Amino acid sequence: MIFDPILDIFRGKAVTIPPMDGALRPNTALDDANVAASLSEPDNLVVLNGELIASSGNAIYRLGAGAEPSALKTFAAPISALAVSADGELAVALEPGRLLVGEKEIELPADICCITVLVYGADGSLYLANGSIDTSPALWSQDLMAKGSSGSIWVLERGASSFRRIAGGLAYANGLLVDGKDLIVSESWRHRLLRIDIKSGGMMPVAGNLPGYPGRLSRTENGALLSIFAPMNRLIEFVLQETQYRKTMMRDIPVESWIAPSLSSGRSFLEPLQCGGIKTMGIHKPWSPSRSYGLVVQLDAAMQPVSSLHSRANGSRHGITSAVVFDGSIYAASRGGDAILVVPEGEFH
Amino acid sequence: METIIRLESISKLYRGVPAVKNVSFDLRKGEIHALLGENGAGKSTLTKIIAGVVEAYSGTMFHHGKETSYATPNEALKAGIAMVFQETSLVPSMTVAQNLYLGSESFLNRLRGIYISAQQFLQSLNFAVDPAAMVESLGAAKKQMVEIARAVHHNAEVIIFDEPTASLTPEEKRHFFALIRRLKARGVSIVFISHALEEALLLSDRITILRDGELVATGETSSFDRDKIISAMVGRTLSAELYRQRDESKLRKPGKKILSVQDISMSNVVRNNSFSVFQGQITGVFGLIGSGRTETFKVVAGIYKRDFKRGGTIELDDKPVRYVVPREAVNDGIVYVTEDRKAEGFFETMSIAENLFGGLLAAGHEKAWIINQKEMRTLSSDWSKTLNVRAINDNARVVELSGGNQQKVVIGKGLVQQPRLVIFDEPTRGVDVGAIAEIHQIINRLADEGLAVVVISSYLPEIMNLSDRILVCRQGRIVEEFSPAEATEAKIMYAAVH
Repeated sequence: MIFDPILDIFRGKAVTIPPMDGALRPNTALDDANVAASLSEPDNLVVLNGELIASSGNAIYRLGAGAEPSALKTFAAPISALAVSADGELAVALEPGRLLVGEKEIELPADICCITVLVYGADGSLYLANGSIDTSPALWSQDLMAKGSSGSIWVLERGASSFRRIAGGLAYANGLLVDGKDLIVSESWRHRLLRIDIKSGGMMPVAGNLPGYPGRLSRTENGALLSIFAPMNRLIEFVLQETQYRKTMMRDIPVESWIAPSLSSGRSFLEPLQCGGIKTMGIHKPWSPSRSYGLVVQLDAAMQPVSSLHSRANGSRHGITSAVVFDGSIYAASRGGDAILVVPEGEFH
Repeated sequence: METIIRLESISKLYRGVPAVKNVSFDLRKGEIHALLGENGAGKSTLTKIIAGVVEAYSGTMFHHGKETSYATPNEALKAGIAMVFQETSLVPSMTVAQNLYLGSESFLNRLRGIYISAQQFLQSLNFAVDPAAMVESLGAAKKQMVEIARAVHHNAEVIIFDEPTASLTPEEKRHFFALIRRLKARGVSIVFISHALEEALLLSDRITILRDGELVATGETSSFDRDKIISAMVGRTLSAELYRQRDESKLRKPGKKILSVQDISMSNVVRNNSFSVFQGQITGVFGLIGSGRTETFKVVAGIYKRDFKRGGTIELDDKPVRYVVPREAVNDGIVYVTEDRKAEGFFETMSIAENLFGGLLAAGHEKAWIINQKEMRTLSSDWSKTLNVRAINDNARVVELSGGNQQKVVIGKGLVQQPRLVIFDEPTRGVDVGAIAEIHQIINRLADEGLAVVVISSYLPEIMNLSDRILVCRQGRIVEEFSPAEATEAKIMYAAVH
């Protein structure tokens, strides 16, 4: 109805969450998946010299087939992103805003303090997603609750000495993929993927209305894998509309008790009502709203969802922050489930 | 065993067309006798003769061995024969309790007293119906419950149930079956007309099968099985064709997302319901009565209105819509084929042609003040042929058609509006086995032609057979989605009740 936008001023805008159906039809693929390795809060997965490596806290671990993860390198601060160039050079981002390429620290512009993703282009350029200018990657929920939109995309072109800003004003840039002359970027707080022209910085949405917060992207043979690290939740969306309540909550309540998305839930009874989680006679309903969720989405070449792997509200493999295809299987880092999961690529639902 | 009712060589003609031809039938004391046959086979007519609703053209009826004929249903009721009709015969503007006591009121009635005794009576039958509720506000299943309760309340010695379980949920059916068995234990004789063959096999002591108004077979239930009944009813084996498990490779792939419903709410019936519907696919929606499935899709079709405040959004082709009247939805290509065809689906005293043309008028495709008779006849003849509506001619009144043909007219009335999204609510309710197959073919054809199709059904085999994806509705929202290839009746039912 044409009057709806006017009426919304008086009656309040409807809090709506896109349904998880079609290509995003829920399943239990992540909960049914085998555990490739148990690691505390694994984060970024990349392939280095034919081996899968994962960041976890301050360390990078080597994930050998059938063996326990072994520490490859440790750093002074938590690792927020990893990338490997075509010639095997490892780039590591540390909190709060340091970048090491090889063993050498690169000087960063002052605005870069929240490196969420690093990606090498085919020509050796290093692309960087900066989530926010106010917070570090570990405090991402603060940026969401503050309705931050200070994210930006940068590039260190091959042979250049400093980073060049490609685009800014992003509501938490948290995923990056080089696609020819463009970049595909996950804009988490706006629940969408953008195509950004590397030269001009022009943006165009390619997929919107995602039912969660999109995170890292990785290339596959026919498209890409998208990790959605937390679900949208009606209560959280409502809190995001209530400015005064949100400010008071951020000021007076510890972060872990905020009504905000999370990478895991149900671990403490102090959690805020499990955000509407429904448990009856000891059975947690899989369809109930929850603070955390596990979701990996397979995208086609046009970056449209084709199929998905889930760990639902009653599952435990939540908070998927990275997923890659390696050796014919999909490896997913479940930060909320403290595990790296492996699913044969052919079993994608 | 004592024979209560015996019919000998009964015949009945409607406008010269025989509905029942030379049928003999007997009903014993304390037995459950299933009467089976396609719609139009003459089952309803035969039972209506017993209950005094229509008069036999020839033949004799014996009640307790005495030749008799009842001129009115009231006369039959007084003699101990009650009939629960397929289409409800309740007074919509009265309460449930008033309907229960209709015809047996005292000179002075205390409404509160009636409500209390009605409440107790309904509870004794395990029927969750509010005795103070107006009948017009009840859904089809609850109306059916009241209808059954009314028959039981009259302490009849013969109760005829015409399709009693068509609108009941599986859980309600279990209660109903228990009730039937209790009645049987009390010595009540029951005639049970049903299209659900498992129910007939499960419940009845004897089965009689009619085809084209003639008696085809009768005997103890133990001598029948599903295939034998079906082949006797229609002369072909349909079970495997009708309700087979879908193969993953044969499921239609989703086309463009045509409808996106996000968090729609309507009172406490529909609660934050979200789902999508895709072109070229049949989306099956299963849910128990009260799960809000019908109401959700009535909101989509503009028949009901979602909550004014925070009522969610409905997007058609990615554009938000909020319909004030159903016609706006029809103009946007949404057609809702109702579950209650008699009340909402057609004009019963109008002809097939007039009903189909009415669909065009409703969509605004035709000028309402000039009716082109020739165009109407052409339209009617085309659609009657497409949908295989069996009638004497296109001028036949819809009320004279069998349930299956009535349903085809209702579907045709919707399809003439050239929809993009068709919502079928219980499309085969009260429809015979032969017509079910035809209606399924129509639904499949629509999806093959690229239309977005939604099928709401309480009958699990139907949902599993027709759907390319199955949505399960519970307490006002979609809680689960299954692929028909992986779904089992147990999985779907678990999602619907837990």
